[in-house]
Amino acid sequence: MLRIRNLHVEVDSRPILKGLDLDVGAGEVHAIMGPNGSGKSTLAQVLAGREDYRVTAGTVELDGRDLLAMAPEERARAGVFLAFQYPIEIPGVNNAYLLKAALNAQRKARGLPEIDAFEFMKLIGAKLEAMQMSRDFLHRSVNEGFSGGEKKRNEILQMLMLEPRLALLDETDSGLDVDALKIVANGINSLRSPERAIVLVTHYERLLELVVPDYVHVLAGGRIVKSGDRALARELDERGYDWIQAEAAAS
Amino acid sequence: MSEMLIERQFERQKDTLPGAFEPRKRALAAFLERGYPTRRDEAWRYTDLKPIAEAEFDAPAAADARTRERVRARVEETAPPADATRIVIADGLVDEALSTPPNEIALARLVGDERLDRIGRTAASAHPLALLNRAFARDGIRVHVAAGKAATAPLEIVLVASGNGRIAQHPRIVIDLERNAALDVVVRAIDLDDAEGWLNVVFDVVQAEGSRLRIFRLQEHGDRLDSTSFLSARLDKDASLVAGYVDLGGRVTRNDIDVELAGPGASADLFGVFVASPGRHVDDEIHVDHAAPHTRSETAFRGIADRDGRGVFRGKLLVRPGAQKIDARQSSDNLLLADKAEIDTRPELEIYADDVKCSHGATVGELDEDQMFYLRSRGLDADSARALLTFAFANVLLGRLEPAPLRERAVARVAGGLAGLVEWESLR
Repeated sequence: MLRIRNLHVEVDSRPILKGLDLDVGAGEVHAIMGPNGSGKSTLAQVLAGREDYRVTAGTVELDGRDLLAMAPEERARAGVFLAFQYPIEIPGVNNAYLLKAALNAQRKARGLPEIDAFEFMKLIGAKLEAMQMSRDFLHRSVNEGFSGGEKKRNEILQMLMLEPRLALLDETDSGLDVDALKIVANGINSLRSPERAIVLVTHYERLLELVVPDYVHVLAGGRIVKSGDRALARELDERGYDWIQAEAAAS
Repeated sequence: MSEMLIERQFERQKDTLPGAFEPRKRALAAFLERGYPTRRDEAWRYTDLKPIAEAEFDAPAAADARTRERVRARVEETAPPADATRIVIADGLVDEALSTPPNEIALARLVGDERLDRIGRTAASAHPLALLNRAFARDGIRVHVAAGKAATAPLEIVLVASGNGRIAQHPRIVIDLERNAALDVVVRAIDLDDAEGWLNVVFDVVQAEGSRLRIFRLQEHGDRLDSTSFLSARLDKDASLVAGYVDLGGRVTRNDIDVELAGPGASADLFGVFVASPGRHVDDEIHVDHAAPHTRSETAFRGIADRDGRGVFRGKLLVRPGAQKIDARQSSDNLLLADKAEIDTRPELEIYADDVKCSHGATVGELDEDQMFYLRSRGLDADSARALLTFAFANVLLGRLEPAPLRERAVARVAGGLAGLVEWESLR
């Protein structure tokens, strides 16, 4: 589904990704781990289409289409969803409006009719329940005055509504207490299906206890330096990242 | 030269102006001493009154049956609020046939009433446009709410420009709230068709101890009407005032608000939103005078300017000597949608007491890139995201408007082409 080859990205003229390769197939869950500053968030943002991150070399294909040539909204409509590490506050726009506008923009792009108010309320009601969020939440401004945990839950709620084909979750586990982490993990797991792929960017192992990945990759110095399965995540949790960086440097 | 024009207008109209002539003459003389403000005047640095000063205006005449019907239709079509009692002032004259006065609060027409003069006894009388209003006012109302009484429905005052000639109208609204009285007022300014002219309205408010007044004003003039408004309010101990202004139309619009917090515990919440679309000029000049200790105020204005639209905000906070324990906040945030658009904002603090909490901030900027990316990453195209963020910028303050039908109309007007928005806003 997602095919990344030799990706080089600069942020403020500083190279961050330096030749990254990654393949993610339908139905798979990948975890990308790595020390701070290794480029994990940059990767997530570049895939979602952030324009001030400059791609200097490499290709990214989504189902054979050139992802890098697409505007952020085209990527969303093609099924890419980024759960932000720091969700943006938008005072003056309520959550219900954003959810409905986003859903309809994507439905329209797929040739589906707009969802009517009744269907929408029914759908959102079920998702709110799944995320254990109260209905008042719909009438609050997007992320404004939310706690860190509420913001993360809101990202997952949006994801459940939009049902993306490729979900990118950027440090969604950070800042969550144990209960909230479980709710978020359940939300993510509910989306697992043979048609969908999920990429979890994290530097803790604890989310991966709840959302078990098929593959674990280590991103360091702007490249994937090691790939493995769930056992790799455990090893990283115990031993840290230094040995991998040393290993990578040696090769 | 433009002062000569106004003298000539006064000469022509003087025999038809109701009530005592002397106070009018005095007001005109006081105006002429300094004449129209110019851009050398600090308070008028960005607003040129020339289009008004150099125009020939007609005197208003009572509406004929046909005009009245059209006014009625226009008032209905621009509707809210539903349960309000209503006073229609067309071309500066109260139209009793179109008005549904409340029976729970005392209303009097101000034709020739000596209470017109009250404003002449306050510091606010120095305002040049208030002086012209005093010289030329033909009509208006006095609203009086007795001690301890709270009006159950808002009082709607609709100011209409009929477009029967190029009319200068100077209505005057006097509001007196006795001890612990409470009132909501909705002011709507509208035109028939593409009316040309000048609306120069004065609100003269006096609030006794513990009284509560809220004024929400929606201005929807067309492209050829100039609009100036002056609100002077004096608040005694523990009185509170909320004033919310929304300016969406007009050619030149200038709003002055002048609030004196005269007794301890008095508080004022002033907010405003303007959209200076192409060809429009909007200027808000907001003064808050903390004349007593333990008073609070919040002033929050937001402006949007597009293409050659032009906006101005100046806020003056004054804390007088000895006025301790003050909480005063002021903010002016502005959004430019095009390169040629311009908004000038000047928050000013003058503080002569030491135990006070004051803050102010002003921003002029463009849409936030992070917000744009967030919305687009959810599937909204760039144009929709821009429109939504522009709306949201205004909506932060529009949400404070009351009652709901007025808020919904303002929201709908600002939201423009954003389909479905009103429906969701009304879920609040």
